[in-house]
Amino acid sequence: MGDGRARAMSVSGMLAWRAIILVRRMPSVFLPSLVMPLFILVATSGAFHGVGALPIGTSSYLAFTIPFATMMGAGFAGVNSGLTLARDIEGGFVDRLISSPAPRIALLAGPLAAAAIRSVFTTTVVLAAGLIGGVHPPGVLGTAIVYLMAALWGVATACWSMGVALRAKTVQAAPLMQLVVFVAIFTSVAYAPRELQQGWLRHISDWNPVTRILEASRGTELGGADWTEVWPGLWASALLIALAGGFALHGLYRLGRD
Amino acid sequence: MLVQTRALAWRGVKSTLRFPQSWFPALFFPLVLMSIFTASFDRGVGAIPGFPPVRGFLDFAVSGAVLQGVLIGGVSAGAFFAADMEGGFFDRLVASPVSRFALLSGRLVAGMLMAAAQAVLFVGVAVVFGARVQGGLAGFLILVGLAGLLALPIGGLGILLALRTGSAEAVQGMFPLFFALLFFSSAFFPRETMTGWFRTVAGLNPISHMVEGMRAQVITGVDVPAALLSLAIILGLGAVTVGLSALMLSRRLGDS
Repeated sequence: MGDGRARAMSVSGMLAWRAIILVRRMPSVFLPSLVMPLFILVATSGAFHGVGALPIGTSSYLAFTIPFATMMGAGFAGVNSGLTLARDIEGGFVDRLISSPAPRIALLAGPLAAAAIRSVFTTTVVLAAGLIGGVHPPGVLGTAIVYLMAALWGVATACWSMGVALRAKTVQAAPLMQLVVFVAIFTSVAYAPRELQQGWLRHISDWNPVTRILEASRGTELGGADWTEVWPGLWASALLIALAGGFALHGLYRLGRD
Repeated sequence: MLVQTRALAWRGVKSTLRFPQSWFPALFFPLVLMSIFTASFDRGVGAIPGFPPVRGFLDFAVSGAVLQGVLIGGVSAGAFFAADMEGGFFDRLVASPVSRFALLSGRLVAGMLMAAAQAVLFVGVAVVFGARVQGGLAGFLILVGLAGLLALPIGGLGILLALRTGSAEAVQGMFPLFFALLFFSSAFFPRETMTGWFRTVAGLNPISHMVEGMRAQVITGVDVPAALLSLAIILGLGAVTVGLSALMLSRRLGDS
C-alpha cells in the first residue's frame, strides 16, 4: 500500500471518528435521526394498522413498516453527513484541511464511513422497537441484510448530501438534501407493495431504485433472505452510490478551484 | 378597528403570497402525501375491515390534506408574526395608533382567508382527479368554512409561540410537534381501523374530530352533527389559543 493511500485511510478514519464523536458532543444534531425513524415506525404502523388486512405479505403493518423506518433512519444519517460537511465548510475547517497535506478524498471517505456506522445505530433502534412490538428479527443472515441495505442507502444519501454541501457551501441547503432523499423514499414502496399501488406512483416506483432496496430489506424482514430480491437491492444500491458518489466527487474536485 | 384589521389582514395575505417558501410547503406536502396515499391504498380500501364506505381513497384523503395544509400555514403565520417582531415592524405598529386587537386579528384573519382558499384549491384538485363531495355545494361550503375557522386555533397557537419566543426559527421548530399531532389522529386513516393505545390517543386527539367533521361532508353528505362537533372543538380551542395570545401580547406590552 503506497504512502498516499495509507495517509488517505488514516485521515478518513480520523474524520469518521470525528463525525461519530459528534453524536456524543452535539446530540441535538444526531438525536433527530434516532427519534424520527422511531416516530415514523410508531405513527405509520399505528395509523395504517388496518392496511395489514390487505395482501402485503404480512398481517402486521408494524413488520411491514420496519424496513421503511430503517431506511428513513439511514437517510437521516446520510443527510447528517452532508450537514456536517456544510457546517465544516462554513466554519473554515474544510479550507484548513485542503491546505494541509491530507488527501482530499478523505473529506468524503470519512463522513461516508460515519454515515454507514450511524445507520447501524438507527437500524438497531428501529429493530429493537419492532421487537418490543412483537416483530422478531429475521435470523442472523436476514438481520445482516436489513443492516446492509440501510447502510448502503445511508452511504448513497450521504454522497448526495455531501455533493449538495460541496456546491452550496451552506447549511441552508439542508431542505434540498432532505427533500430529494424523502421524495425518493416516499415514491417507492414506502406505504404499500407495488402490487397494491396504481397510477403514477406505480410507474415511478417501478423505476425508482429505492424500491429495489426497500423490497430487498422488506422481503428479508418478512420472509428471510430471498436472493431474487436481495440482488436487485444490491445492484440498485451500487447504481445510486455510483451516481451520487460521482456527484460528490465532482463537487470535491471543483472545491477551491472555481 | 375593522379597518385596521382589514389592512393588516391584507398585508398578511400579500406578505405570505410574496414569499413562496411560506406557502409552497403548505401546498406541496399535503398534495403530494394525498396523492401518494391515494395511489397506495385506493385499490384496497374496500377490503379493510372498519373502513367507512367511500367511492375511493381520494374522497377520504382530501380532508386530511386540507387540515395538514392549514397546520403548516398556521406555523408560517406564527413565523411571520415572529419575523415582524424580529424586524421591528411590530414595534412600529405598537407605537402607532393601531389597536391591540388589530395586531392579532389582522394576522388571524389573513390565516383564515389563506386556509379557506387552500381548502378550495385542494378540493378542486381532488375533484379534477375524480373525487366527489357527497354533500354537494352545501357540504363543500361547510368544509371550506371549517377549514377557514381552523386557522383560528392553529394561527392563535403560532402567534402565541411567536410572542413567547420572539423567534421565527423557534416557531418553525415547533413543526415536528404539529406533525406528530397530525399522525396520531385520524387525519390519514379512520379511527375504526386502529387498535389499542393508538386508537385511544387518536380518539382523544382533537385533530381527529376536526378532520372527521370536514370528511363527513365529503364521504357521506351534509352531516350537521359532525360539523357542529368539529365547529365546537375549533371554536373552543380557538378561544383558548387566541385568548392566551391576547394575554401574552398584553403582558409583552406591559398593559397589565
